[in-house]
Amino acid sequence: MMDTLLIPWVLAGIPLLGALASLPFMPDPERLKWSSVAWAIISLSMVAGFARRIDMPPEGILPLYLLPLAATISNLGQPAHEHSRPSRMLTLVFLGLGLSAVSSRPPVSLVSLTLLLMLIAGLLYRHHSALWPRSWWGIGAYALGALCAAVSAGADAPLSSIASLIACAVLIPLVPFHDGHLAALTRLPGSLPSFIVVLLPILGLHQLGAAMPTVPDSVAWTVSIFALVGASYGALKALAQSRVRLLLAYGSLSFFSILWWFAAASRTATPRSALLVGTVGLATSGLMVAWQVIRTRYGDDVDPQAISGLASGMPQYAVLLSLLALAAMGLPPFGVFAGFMGLLLSAPFPSLAGLFITLLAWLAASWYIMQMVQRLLFGVRRAELRYTDLLHAEFASLLIVVLVLLALGLAPTTLFASKGISSGVIGESFTWNR
Amino acid sequence: MTLVLIVPLLLLAAACIVLFGRNGSEYARMKLAAYPVGAAFLGAAATLYVVTTGGPVTIQFYDLSSVASFAIPIGFYVDRLSAVMMTLITGVSVIIYNYSIVYMYQDRHARRYLAMICLTDFVLICMVSSANLMMLFLFWQVLSYLLYVLAHNHAHAGTLAGAFKTFTLLRIADTAFLAGIALAYQLYGTLEFQELFIRAADHPVILSLWPGMDMSGTTAVSLLFFAGAMGKSAQFPIHLWLPGSLFAPTPVHALLHAGIINAGGFLINRLAPLFGQSSTTLHIAFVIGTLTAILGASMMLAQNDIKKTLGFSTIGQMGYMIMECGLGAFALAVFHLIAHGLFKATVFLNCGNVIHKARQEPHFPHVDDHVEEPGLSRLTWLTGFVTTLFIPLLILLITHGVLRIPLLESQGTVIFLFFIWITSSQAILTLTRLRQVASWKVSAAMLMTLLFIVFVYLFAVESFTEFLYPNPVEVASYLRAAGLADWLFDLMIVTATILTVVSWSYLYMTAHGMSLRMPAWIDGLRIRLYLPFMNRLYADEIYAMTGQTIMRLAHQLDKRDRGWSR
Repeated sequence: MMDTLLIPWVLAGIPLLGALASLPFMPDPERLKWSSVAWAIISLSMVAGFARRIDMPPEGILPLYLLPLAATISNLGQPAHEHSRPSRMLTLVFLGLGLSAVSSRPPVSLVSLTLLLMLIAGLLYRHHSALWPRSWWGIGAYALGALCAAVSAGADAPLSSIASLIACAVLIPLVPFHDGHLAALTRLPGSLPSFIVVLLPILGLHQLGAAMPTVPDSVAWTVSIFALVGASYGALKALAQSRVRLLLAYGSLSFFSILWWFAAASRTATPRSALLVGTVGLATSGLMVAWQVIRTRYGDDVDPQAISGLASGMPQYAVLLSLLALAAMGLPPFGVFAGFMGLLLSAPFPSLAGLFITLLAWLAASWYIMQMVQRLLFGVRRAELRYTDLLHAEFASLLIVVLVLLALGLAPTTLFASKGISSGVIGESFTWNR
Repeated sequence: MTLVLIVPLLLLAAACIVLFGRNGSEYARMKLAAYPVGAAFLGAAATLYVVTTGGPVTIQFYDLSSVASFAIPIGFYVDRLSAVMMTLITGVSVIIYNYSIVYMYQDRHARRYLAMICLTDFVLICMVSSANLMMLFLFWQVLSYLLYVLAHNHAHAGTLAGAFKTFTLLRIADTAFLAGIALAYQLYGTLEFQELFIRAADHPVILSLWPGMDMSGTTAVSLLFFAGAMGKSAQFPIHLWLPGSLFAPTPVHALLHAGIINAGGFLINRLAPLFGQSSTTLHIAFVIGTLTAILGASMMLAQNDIKKTLGFSTIGQMGYMIMECGLGAFALAVFHLIAHGLFKATVFLNCGNVIHKARQEPHFPHVDDHVEEPGLSRLTWLTGFVTTLFIPLLILLITHGVLRIPLLESQGTVIFLFFIWITSSQAILTLTRLRQVASWKVSAAMLMTLLFIVFVYLFAVESFTEFLYPNPVEVASYLRAAGLADWLFDLMIVTATILTVVSWSYLYMTAHGMSLRMPAWIDGLRIRLYLPFMNRLYADEIYAMTGQTIMRLAHQLDKRDRGWSR
């Protein structure tokens, strides 16, 4: 029987070992792809084997499963190409660091987190372009996140609480610390954006569970204001985007801000919060993989307005993209809806205006996501475009995302909850009762 | 119990039969799928019998004590209301499905379309038999998306815009519904129907929206649910999606107007005990319903397209139905939506043939010939007068004087009598077109019409009310909750009566070529009103302008926030 203290090291070590073991396949992109997918699956099976034996965080064990799953679909959906080789290796490295940050105890978890954020900041610097001056803000945000994670490991309260909260605001994007999220999703290469959109918010939620109960009320109130601003800002910005990656980045910012609002009210991270964070990340990840399919066929800088009629030319793609879009805009029976509904029903909402804004943000998603999907799938079929439906790996990747989102929408959240977390009626705590 | 589950499963099976199978066997599979659809109807009818004789059936696949841990607690609750709706939906579906097999024959998208029809039926059945608000909302949302898919055609820009409008407008109403669910759970701690009604009645809550503005919990929750119902039932001002979806295949409209649009009426009836606790919500429903009925009917008169005309007729009828709910006559509203559903499905299925015929026959539809016809005889005129004005007055006096029903205290009875009068007089007025027929036949038809309508209202509707709401105290409480101030009620009845009589007199006289001295401003007003009503009160333009304003705002914000979007 393995020692409980060793399990986090094993969970973190498997993907890192996988990265090392994949090194010999670097010259062959196809073999590298399948090697990285295989190691991500091994990592997933290790998580399944050990999950119940590690210290259960308050947000439950769902995040642990989602990390290797997201790595698998990101690598599977990415075409085998020589340019995507470093991103595959880094996906495994990030997975290892992420699993360490979630399953280990402090200070190891905080060191892993600091290392991860520094690596991402470094990568953004490596891919910085003068055409995108705003990515400096992203680099700065991740550097700040790394610094705060390091400070929270060493400093005493209340400095550590505030530092930890800022690190969380970088990881789960919260206005005004959201630039890192935008930069990572738009500037990072290959399979990394679709993995990072799941990885970082999950790590942030893990930190939030410890940080939120310790922050003063005034800070929590400020957070809830920023959250409401972020929810509306993200939705409005997403409406104005024509670039798909930016649209998805702003859309996910809006949804993550909703989580922040609930977290500021309940001052904790629950399995329902994990469900919302995990499924929003996964749905965005799936849409990014789906967009990657288009980029693979029609080029990196393709304008979505120049494509239409995919529904008749690529029926499999059309069905899966439609289902992913439904999930991403928070419609039942998918996981995003289940997470959102779970929070609506279980967390006390402090103000009617706040509830109104969060619902508007939820509503706006059906506008900008549906517009994007409609633009791509429907309309006149273009004679000058060659339509090639999904390849096996792409199909498998998107199908897995849809099925997991569906399963998470139907499964009870108690399945992933830690013992002792009960769900009670909270009518008594309703602040505007009289 | 199994019977309740079999009905939706049969429809799901039908969808699978159509959807999956080898190429070349599509037509055979489509015909085969008609059997499970038919069997679902028989199952629904059997369920109606079981529920009528043995009481409601409840099936729960979840633990009530831990309902919050499940995002979607799956369960079924079938009472008489659900069973009636199930029978209506499956009955109409059998006709529409069989019609569609022929109508869509050799169409490239027939398989997808027929599968979607079966799937929509499945969703509708699950929705009307939901055990709790959460499950109802789940299928309510799926229905919104299915409507979007059914109402659009991949390659037609107008249809796509209409489908997008349908989806976004329905989502606005759905958001209000979701807010209602969240608020109901926060206030009463349950989403189970019966439990919710009991807790709402036992624990009144006052919400302070802002200083000086208080509202009861039941009013807030029922208002949000009502806003949700407004979307699906195309109530003003969220009615725009219905005319916008008119490019869809004709059988879709039959299903839409006979089944899907009834969802709002069903929701209000399902939550009747909650609505019955809030007079404010019922009064608002009455105002919205009346406004929708008037505007829908007025816009219908000014349309020049058969499908749009029928679409606005449905909007008007739905307004009428919501108005009945607002008056506390919930069962009357269900009776109305069943009758309207059957009528409109027939008309829509026929309208496809009319359009085809008009395309083949250049002289179709025929224009009226202008040959001078003999006017109405004295006998016909007298019968019309007696049946529309004298007999109703007689009934009123008998009810009040002989039967000693206190009409002045019972607004519900007056409403019933008023509807009888309006409906029968309207029907009798249309008989005046039968001018060529011998006058005694027209007179007999007028009397039969009056008898038939009185019978339907007094016996059929009364029996139906007793069937759906067996407890007369409950019915009386709804009517009481919907009661208006006496002076307002009397004013409305008198105004409506005067307006109706004046309108009929005007129509009668103009139809018979009599010259009327009208002030110039009335003629001017008529012309000025025609244009906005023909253009549907420019509501589509206002909707588009709102969308453009939001987008302009978003783009302005995007431009200010330099960096990412350049």
